[in-house]
Amino acid sequence: MPEPAVAPSGSRAGSPAGRIVWRLRFALLFAVLAVLPYLLSYSQQEIAVLLVINVLLVSSYRLLTLTGEWSLGHVVIMGVGAYASALLAKRLGVPVPFSMLIGGCMAAATAAILSFPLFRMKGFYFLIGSFAAGEIIRLIWKRFTDPFGGPKGLKRIDAFPNIDTGFLSIDFYEPVNYYFLALIIVSISLFILYRIERSRIGLTFHAIHWQDRLAESIGVDTFRYRTLAFVIASFFAGIAGGLYAHYVGTVNPTRFGVDQMVYVLVWAIVGGTATFHGPILGVIVLTVINEIVLRGLGLDTARPLIYGAILILSVLYLPDGLESLGPKLRAWLQRRRRGPATAGGEAA
Amino acid sequence: MNAPGGQPIPDAPILEARGLTRRFGGLVAVDDFSFAVREGAIHGLIGPNGAGKTTTFNVISGFYAPTSGQVLYRGRDISGRKTSALAEMGLVRTFQGSTLFQEFSVLDNVRVGRHLGARAGFLSRLLGTDRGSEAQADASAREALAFFGLEELADEPVSNLPHGHQRMLGMAVALAAEPEVLLLDEPFTGMNPEETRRMMALVRRIRDGGVTVMLVEHDMQAVMNLCDIITVMNFGALLVEGAPDEVRNDPAVIEAYLGSATGNGAGNGAGDAA
Amino acid sequence: MDLLWQTAINAMYAASYMALIAVGLVMIFGVMGVINFAHGELYMAGAYCVVFLYAQEKFPFLVGVAAGLIFVGAIGLLMERGLFRPLRKNPLGGLIASIGFLLILQTLAVFGFGRRMGHVPPPTQGKIEIFGAILTYQRLFVIVAAILLLAALWAFLKRSKFGWALRACAQDAEAASLQGISMNQTARIAMFIGAALAGVAGALTAPLVSPTPYIGHSIIVTAFIIIIVGGIGSLEGAVIAAVLYAFVHTFVTTFFDGVIANIVGLALMFAVLVVRPTGLFGARERA
Repeated sequence: MPEPAVAPSGSRAGSPAGRIVWRLRFALLFAVLAVLPYLLSYSQQEIAVLLVINVLLVSSYRLLTLTGEWSLGHVVIMGVGAYASALLAKRLGVPVPFSMLIGGCMAAATAAILSFPLFRMKGFYFLIGSFAAGEIIRLIWKRFTDPFGGPKGLKRIDAFPNIDTGFLSIDFYEPVNYYFLALIIVSISLFILYRIERSRIGLTFHAIHWQDRLAESIGVDTFRYRTLAFVIASFFAGIAGGLYAHYVGTVNPTRFGVDQMVYVLVWAIVGGTATFHGPILGVIVLTVINEIVLRGLGLDTARPLIYGAILILSVLYLPDGLESLGPKLRAWLQRRRRGPATAGGEAA
Repeated sequence: MNAPGGQPIPDAPILEARGLTRRFGGLVAVDDFSFAVREGAIHGLIGPNGAGKTTTFNVISGFYAPTSGQVLYRGRDISGRKTSALAEMGLVRTFQGSTLFQEFSVLDNVRVGRHLGARAGFLSRLLGTDRGSEAQADASAREALAFFGLEELADEPVSNLPHGHQRMLGMAVALAAEPEVLLLDEPFTGMNPEETRRMMALVRRIRDGGVTVMLVEHDMQAVMNLCDIITVMNFGALLVEGAPDEVRNDPAVIEAYLGSATGNGAGNGAGDAA
Repeated sequence: MDLLWQTAINAMYAASYMALIAVGLVMIFGVMGVINFAHGELYMAGAYCVVFLYAQEKFPFLVGVAAGLIFVGAIGLLMERGLFRPLRKNPLGGLIASIGFLLILQTLAVFGFGRRMGHVPPPTQGKIEIFGAILTYQRLFVIVAAILLLAALWAFLKRSKFGWALRACAQDAEAASLQGISMNQTARIAMFIGAALAGVAGALTAPLVSPTPYIGHSIIVTAFIIIIVGGIGSLEGAVIAAVLYAFVHTFVTTFFDGVIANIVGLALMFAVLVVRPTGLFGARERA
């Protein structure tokens, strides 16, 4: 780790002028996101919806990695939210927005229960333990046809209810409309995740990651904080699952399998997990590569191969992810501008 | 074993070990070891290499549970409790060398140290209504830095700090947790005489501020000059306990150190005794 | 009673090839400290050597098996040089890179042979009866080959300098290099043997399992369960755990069903992780 990965305190608010620049940037970003779907074809709009959902999935995953533990069960946890929300709506007639929320809570509760065995493990053991726990949950979906639908999963899951108030009518079957719905929910979730990281809770997560014994010695209950990170991350993964289930309309055990987890890992690692925006950058860049380049060139079957190669190359040559390219590039440009004599200490 | 009625007896030791034993497989690292630390004292724990000092220290600070025996803090049995729970009760330890949050700024290290002092609910963290308690945490973190003369370096990344400063910062992080008993793990190891002198003055000031100090140390010179009372361990058990002058001239201590003749502690000890 | 005995014979067969796979995985972990997630795909690659050479090109079955051993061993060397050596300081990175490699091998198999099952005609048709239980020659062959290979490996580790180097590296890589053991050389040999064992297991069982490019998944799950239960880093533990797991899995499959058997296996591993992370037979103590 060449650079300090975090600086939670210093860059909080900045000067008033800096704040205005940031607000302008966000306004611009949202303007682009608002116009974007109208520039896309129908099938691209569908992909945009899934991309927005995946942004939440990978960002929630990053929160878990802040404490230093890498899980292989995160996609299954997303599935818990998806299955729970779908079953609540289908079987019990719970209105869809509420079923999603409850689905998120079920995912969080699953994580809370799993944390007792899992956080007795660390590092590699945690990785394998989370993998085993996830596979067990997945096999339960596969084995118990009632209520989980077995290998074929659940079909005809209730869609998000349409809004019809006379003058305003929104049909969420339309990808554009679901895109905006997902965008709003995901933006709120990201804001909450960001606030958590920037608060003392986030500082404590980082502290546990780098020196859990030292953190423990000054009163941090590392088990409780690891559990907290796991529970929050799982809640938002569950919300992502609910968004997915009620959009696509079907869920099945294969959809939440290890290969899907590999994609989340690829997004996070290629993007870089040191910053909040790293994994988001990763999922966007790789989805664009995937959809435009691979599908466009008809290389769809080569997708896992290319993902695998990207994963290997980024572990070998870009261990801090795409996010580190920006600062590196900026530093390199500045060095060129100032000449080689005054290198060092700039950028960040 | 507790004081009758749960009331601490006045003048009772603040920290006490009774018949402490810790085994690792067949190896007995600490063997039926007892000692008592008086409130407001600077208490040294020394012994030749492999005497079981570090294990004792790790048992007291909750890293290992004792195989048998008890650790008492203000008369309460605390053996086997988690380190974080002990910190909450006021028993805070430091680490050898530069165990710090190397990736953080100097100030953030001490801010983490304020963990117990800056409590706030989850929602207020989210909504930013913890600003008041965080501002206080910030202020007291800066105070702790000032105490160690590090306030100028608050925004530096820790990895830029020279070794001596990192040691000071380690103390500052522990002190930010507002301990009643501070356990120092080899605070002088690797320091030059000037740094050692400054560190000794700081430890005295910490004690004068009302914190009981217990330290494990190799550097005999520093221990002799600093501590009010010294416990000497050998082969996992108590050898001698007493004031520095008594310990210095005790034949058993001299023999233990000469017999093992390892490390700078032994050298200094022997020199002292001669 | 007949069913019990027959199931036990079936479990013997499962244990034999599972042990080959798990021992290879443990060897790789022992030297490099990396869990090779692509181990299931090495098995798959071995199976496709037989699909290609024996089923498609009509070479003798044993030629396919030998090719599986050598070809997959060579893939192992490639992985050591290209992935695990540059990432030696970064075990998590090594693991992630092996996940990337897994995807590459899978896709290459799809390109070469399609997504569907490769059909491999059985090289032998006969079977023997042991006290009423039926054992096909093909399964018997796998059992015998596995025992011979493991015995050869055991002898090699006991007799050769490599066995000593392997143990030294597994205990403390730095100390080993101070004793003049070449880390690179040891890692190369371990990686070759580990990969070749997985490849040979795939080649031997190819006529019995009808391989697909995605068969590696169930293999790696099985291998994980075995090495965790056996105590990661313990070769003997891996063999014992392979036998144990094969019996549990085969019996539960026979008397309940395959998915329940997988759940039981994973739950077993999970329980070991919680209660005794060093494994049931792991000798190494943690400080």
